[in-house]
Amino acid sequence: MMTSQKHDFAAAAIRIEDAAPALRLSLRVKPAHRDAVGRALGLDLPARVGQRAQAGDIQALCLGPDEWLIAAPEGAPLADAARAVYADAPHSLVDISDREITLRLSGPAVLDLLAACCPRNLAAMAVGSAARTVFDSATVILWRDGPADFRMDVWRSFAPHVRSLLAQAQAEIAAGL
Amino acid sequence: MSRYRLQGKGRVDHSAPVSFTFDGKTYQGLRGDTVASALLANGVHLMGRSFKYHRPRGAVSAGSEEPNALIGTSRGAGRFEPNTRATVQELRAGLVTESQNKWPSLSFDVGAINDRAYMLFSAGFYYKTFMWPKSFWDKIYEPVIRGAAGLGKSPTEPDPDRYASRYLHTDVLIVGAGPAGIAAALAAAQSGADVTLVDENAEMGGSLLSDPAVLIDGKPAWDWVDAQLGRLRAAGVRLMTRTTAIGYYHQNMLGLCQRLTDHLDSPPKGAPRERMWRVRAGQVVLAQGALEKPLVFDGNDRPGVMLAGAAQTFLHKYGVKVGDNPAVITSHDSAYHAAFDLADNGARVAAIIDTRESPRPDLLDGARKRGIEVLPSHTVTTTRGRLRVKSVRAAPVRGTQVGTGRDIACDCLLMSGGWTPSLHLFSHTKGTLAWDGQTFLPDRKTEDCEIAGAGRGLWGYADVLADGAAAGLRALEGLGRAGHQASFTVANDRPGSGVSHTELPTDGNAGKARAFIDFQNDVTAKDIRLAVREGMRSIEHVKRYTTNGMATDQGKMSNINGLMIAADALGKEPPQVGLTTFRPPYTPTSFGAFCGYLRGETFQLTRKTPIDPWAEANGAVFEPVAQWRRAWYFPKAGEDMHAAVLRECKATRASLGIFDASTLGKIEVAGPDAVEFMNRMYTNPWTKLQPGRCRYGLLLGEDGFIRDDGVIGRLSPDLFHVTTTTGGAARVLTMMEDYLQTEWPELDVWLTSTTEQWATVALNGPNALAMLKPLVEGVDWDDFPHMSCAECTVAGLPARLFRLSFTGEVGFEVNVPARHGLALWTALIEAGKAYDICPYGTETMHVLRAEKGYIIVGQDTDGTVTPGDAGLDWAIGKAKKDFVGKRSLSRPDIVAKGRKQLVGLLTEDGSLLQEGAQIVLDPNQPKPMKMVGHVTSSYQSTMGHPIAMAVIEGGFDRMGETVFIPMPDGVRKAKITSTVFYDPQNERLKA
Repeated sequence: MMTSQKHDFAAAAIRIEDAAPALRLSLRVKPAHRDAVGRALGLDLPARVGQRAQAGDIQALCLGPDEWLIAAPEGAPLADAARAVYADAPHSLVDISDREITLRLSGPAVLDLLAACCPRNLAAMAVGSAARTVFDSATVILWRDGPADFRMDVWRSFAPHVRSLLAQAQAEIAAGL
Repeated sequence: MSRYRLQGKGRVDHSAPVSFTFDGKTYQGLRGDTVASALLANGVHLMGRSFKYHRPRGAVSAGSEEPNALIGTSRGAGRFEPNTRATVQELRAGLVTESQNKWPSLSFDVGAINDRAYMLFSAGFYYKTFMWPKSFWDKIYEPVIRGAAGLGKSPTEPDPDRYASRYLHTDVLIVGAGPAGIAAALAAAQSGADVTLVDENAEMGGSLLSDPAVLIDGKPAWDWVDAQLGRLRAAGVRLMTRTTAIGYYHQNMLGLCQRLTDHLDSPPKGAPRERMWRVRAGQVVLAQGALEKPLVFDGNDRPGVMLAGAAQTFLHKYGVKVGDNPAVITSHDSAYHAAFDLADNGARVAAIIDTRESPRPDLLDGARKRGIEVLPSHTVTTTRGRLRVKSVRAAPVRGTQVGTGRDIACDCLLMSGGWTPSLHLFSHTKGTLAWDGQTFLPDRKTEDCEIAGAGRGLWGYADVLADGAAAGLRALEGLGRAGHQASFTVANDRPGSGVSHTELPTDGNAGKARAFIDFQNDVTAKDIRLAVREGMRSIEHVKRYTTNGMATDQGKMSNINGLMIAADALGKEPPQVGLTTFRPPYTPTSFGAFCGYLRGETFQLTRKTPIDPWAEANGAVFEPVAQWRRAWYFPKAGEDMHAAVLRECKATRASLGIFDASTLGKIEVAGPDAVEFMNRMYTNPWTKLQPGRCRYGLLLGEDGFIRDDGVIGRLSPDLFHVTTTTGGAARVLTMMEDYLQTEWPELDVWLTSTTEQWATVALNGPNALAMLKPLVEGVDWDDFPHMSCAECTVAGLPARLFRLSFTGEVGFEVNVPARHGLALWTALIEAGKAYDICPYGTETMHVLRAEKGYIIVGQDTDGTVTPGDAGLDWAIGKAKKDFVGKRSLSRPDIVAKGRKQLVGLLTEDGSLLQEGAQIVLDPNQPKPMKMVGHVTSSYQSTMGHPIAMAVIEGGFDRMGETVFIPMPDGVRKAKITSTVFYDPQNERLKA
């Protein structure tokens, strides 16, 4: 009678899609050599956790004081570029393209979908930022690409659990309650 | 339609009848009814039997605090629920309900014999009665008590409903949508704050729904509520009905249970029944109102005796007159309004019995106008009526003297002992309470919360609305936002006050009075006084001795009455006796709501490897290992586990086995200081390990005990590929990261988990090399001996290839990027057909490694085993000046003689030992025997006899000795041997 949990059924559609495989690299480097490695990769590495930077189709996300996630199209020659500055700017650049799979989650009710299992205040997350957080008991990285457009990187073996939870939440949202 | 339903009255839909059954009989109610209001509309007051005495009971309240009217409800197959409050359960078409705690029927119940024998069942009777003879306890007392215990029947089928969960972050959460809560929401919704208003009822409005004649800002109460809810909705306030705030936890986190479908005739497909909200609120406003208190007198529990406010609610919300001929007993002004409203709707009020000397003149006036007799300074000494109250005996009180009473006929008795502020959620926060002479009020706060309205003892709509608005504004200001103070004008207000009582005075035998305090648990005033006489001093002890307040309603009605009487008996002030602690949940909450999604396939996170689909398709039996499910063995038709494992073992030793090792933990250790880091972490020396070579690594804790192990490959001078045990992966990475960040931040080395980057397939057997060679490119086979590694391609896939063995046969581990794992596996299976390749699971892996004496950390070690104990001294870099755990290895008790050491065991009779079995040196010694160790691993082997590993005190010095393993079916004899049972010279690795 007086519940505000109303959903516009036509608009409540949630899309859950698998993103195409991409090159993902875990970059670890101390602050003194951050700029040098960033230059080699072709972008300014952001300094604040959660901040993203983009140059062309290469994206960098700061995950920790000395940790970045680099995403780029498959085949991008980033490892070679970084290796060229390794002697002067020691770092670790590990290919983790296959460690995670990426789900693209979008639609007007996507915040409700994520709120089913993610304790973080995602409504307050700035568009264009990203965060390492949890979805139920799985560690995930959430990229907010638009107001109703997220990417979720989840470790491959956790994906069936996460997919099943997403499907349950999607069904309940589709039921309108 | 029944004569108790008032045409056109209430908020129910008179044009929408709803059929339901109660104890097999079909009744009609209206859309918007609860089961209780619908039964009352049909003249049914008798709704259940009490727990201990099986006394007939009816609804005493109209809300979630109901202790009596507990029913079983069934909404279809598997959807039976016991102890549902009839005052909360909304009608839905086809709802099946039944009364509880009765046999054979509600109106004639054999268990009511307990009521006749009530003198035997005083407080604490079970502590006293069943003590003797002691031997009766197990066979007689306990089974009988268990049979009689509990209320309602447990459901027997799995719950087919779905339950959901959701997190919510909101600036202001307001609990309770009565006048105070609505006013608070209006205030908080200024300046764009995110506001959430929740109410446990189906409709918002709280007490205003039961007081429609009140005018706010010139509008009748219901119109005002509608208008304000419209404003709130327009302002974007989240309005949630049927949503109970069940708990208030640290840092303004609250749990809300939202009931979504129980009231719907046909819930939408896929809809969850309930949703648990975990809310983090910037500010909280508690506007939960107050609960009416019963008065305590003999026979205050008969069907038809109910709270005056409940009768008012049934009248106005549901259009139900609870009786034609009510009497009223009160110590608070509010009951007059209930009497007046019933009189104005055609009831003939028999009398208003007021315990107070001088009722307010305007109330006396109102009674006179309606022809209602008022009896001030009167008490009620008893009631009559078996299944429904028939009369009440009122008697005048002069000082402490109770005069001659008179019986007043009635068909219901409305009582009011005043109102208790709902402090439950506030108490969850450990906020302190203050006694104001009548009741407890919220005092010192521990969280960012405001308490508004009747919840902090205010009465009258003008005061409550102003207080709610002020609380909402304070919450807003607490967020650093500003707003203005709203004001409300109220006409036809119903302010009031009252006094608190212990038991009402009586001229009867107080020792025989059935004056109930806790209706559900059948606790009487006499029980409380008995508990005090028997030495209980703390209210917590009184509660547990009498079970007062321990029923499903958690003492919502009984706590204050119990306290008043206990304090009186102790001769103390109530705050000196104290109040028991309220604990979550506020009202009974389904297990389903707590479980949420964590059932069925999402009960617990289960990790699966890229090769898992193949294993499943090929009939693998799985076992859980850490969070993973791993293929345990691959039985063929007709094989049991033992046969399958033996076949897999033999096939691997004879030719070729293939194993999914993807769950092994993998850590990339990279950077100029990688080798220095490895030297510090692991016991082994790493400096001289050449790129392209592997080494077995042993990891200790600071205490010198084995933590983990694994084969580690050096891929380049600055890059190590570390493997860990499956279960140890996360722990090892965390430990390494801890040392790196806190002890050695100067090192230029970094750690990255690559467990899931790589799918790992192990190939073992004399034909492994021959089979693999043609598939590999980029490896110089002339320089790829045992314990080598290389980056290359396998079956055309980019790979890291390791030559190592955990079986004693020639072995390889092929790592490919995880997306290719299944492709690699199927390619190897295909190519291996020429060698009768045999997929094997974790059990075969365990047997094969045990035959070689390779330990499994966590199975053969238990956190107290040093490298020396495990025979792994060879893995320690003796020349290294330090590594984690090194200093501990020279502690006196670590170097002392007689430590438990890992040895092999062979049974004399060829029987299989049980893992975990204890070992003794002399089986004939008296019990308790001295146990010198235990079996850590035990398997049937490929050598035709079982093998076992064990830790035994001084085991290395006892080679060849016989030890004994006492088992329930006899003592086993076993000979101590080396742990290497198979190919001790490692000839097979050199092939």
